[in-house]
Amino acid sequence: MFSSTREGLALALPAAIFALLLFIVPVGILLSEAFQSDTGWTLQGYVDFFAKPLNQTVFLRTLKLGVLVAGTAAVIGYAAAFSISNLSPVARGRVFGLIILPLMISPVARTYAWIVILGRTGIVNDAIIGLGLSETPIRLLFTETAVFLGLLQLFMPLMIISLLSAMENIPRDVIPAARVLGASWFQVFFKVILPLTKEGLVVGGTLVFTGALTAYITPAILGGSKVLMLETLLYQRVNVANDFVSASVIAMILIVMSFAANLLLKRIATARK
Amino acid sequence: MKNLTAWAIIGATLTFLIGPFIIIIFAGASAGEALAFPPDGLSLRWYLKVFTIESFRQSFVLSMGLAVFGTLAALLLGVPAAYALNRYDLPGAETIRTIVASPIIVPGIIVGLALLRYLVIPLNFTVTMALFLAHTALVLPYAVRVVSSSLNNLRSDMEEAAVLLGCSRVQAFTKVVLPNIRGGVLAAFILGFVTSFNQVPVSLFLSGPGVRTLPIDMLAYMEITYDPSVAALSALLAFMSLAIVFVAERLLGFSRYV
Repeated sequence: MFSSTREGLALALPAAIFALLLFIVPVGILLSEAFQSDTGWTLQGYVDFFAKPLNQTVFLRTLKLGVLVAGTAAVIGYAAAFSISNLSPVARGRVFGLIILPLMISPVARTYAWIVILGRTGIVNDAIIGLGLSETPIRLLFTETAVFLGLLQLFMPLMIISLLSAMENIPRDVIPAARVLGASWFQVFFKVILPLTKEGLVVGGTLVFTGALTAYITPAILGGSKVLMLETLLYQRVNVANDFVSASVIAMILIVMSFAANLLLKRIATARK
Repeated sequence: MKNLTAWAIIGATLTFLIGPFIIIIFAGASAGEALAFPPDGLSLRWYLKVFTIESFRQSFVLSMGLAVFGTLAALLLGVPAAYALNRYDLPGAETIRTIVASPIIVPGIIVGLALLRYLVIPLNFTVTMALFLAHTALVLPYAVRVVSSSLNNLRSDMEEAAVLLGCSRVQAFTKVVLPNIRGGVLAAFILGFVTSFNQVPVSLFLSGPGVRTLPIDMLAYMEITYDPSVAALSALLAFMSLAIVFVAERLLGFSRYV
């Protein structure tokens, strides 16, 4: 540990000033824009935003999809992470590599695949028509289901990674011990695994929920203008209508929702103690 | 039996996560005109066509430049910051940490819009310049975090010994610290590169005539044309990312740092 404060600040401040000027100040001005009017401070931008039925729908849909994606990712993530944590070290390393592999691939590429799967001439529609379940292709793209699947695929690795690293903290013998003492798998999960991994769940849940809220590509490609989410709505408001007040309101909603999710999950995690 | 269940779960999860990507590879290798899976015969025509599309070539060069130089700039700012935060007792260290990490917390689309409104338009920054600054800011948190964790593993008495033995502070850094955190810096570079290259929301509003990052260009292309070339390009880019990560993993055990 060196003592010269001046030297330390000289090293650290360029990065901080850079982030401050390029990041915090412009974003701060953008967020303040909805509170300003010709006569002074106002909440009118927020009132107007939430008065529109379309905006309400989009807000609730974004919230709903975020919760659904994070919840589903948690359920599948626990099953997957528990299975992976019981593998031999070599197999575990390989499977872990395959789980994080998608994170390195462009989200555009990963989302584009769903067009091939869910499109009018896609695999699912081929199967549906082949099996005689329907005469004509069913519309699967531009539905909430398509956006849900795309988001789940995009963000599930983050949940699995978080849960896996939390599961490393479960002592080896605890689960067999609980089983020997007569606990059902249901009890083992809620009394042993969940309490010991809740920090991983908080991290994973926040990452997935926030990721789903703020994803642009997935709702843009798989939802289009039929299934708008807050991000795509923001883009549309700015590009089509030059509506910067709505943009500012949406920006604030997204940031507040991300923080709220993190706080809420932390609160739940500590309440269980 | 228990093992079988575990592998079934893992298999299903991996199919869901990686299956779509395999479909993309084959859809791009179609011999037909339309995007389909299974493809109408196999050929490499779309994989080759990608290289002849002028806008893809331009946007690839831009994305590459942003990813390389934006990440280098982020390291130039981030490595000293990480070093100072780790080795000095700074007043307001927590505040500095939060400020530097903030670009991760705020959705990219908002950053892009804010920079467009308050940097490009009033201050006459070029779009390219704004993109470069935005990508640097975006990678900065990763650079600081990865280099920090690498510094944490390096005992600080080594530098103190170097200084006692007659090195200047700067020499102690370049001769002792830097060689020891090389792996972390390289890992930060790769992580930053991949993040920047694949980034969409930040660049969404920051594009002008002839200035478009590759992912944005792909989005625009697929709105007009429904042929397999975007699938082919997606597959090629994915292979590029994987190759980089694979080499990094072989050279320095990249996944330790992520």
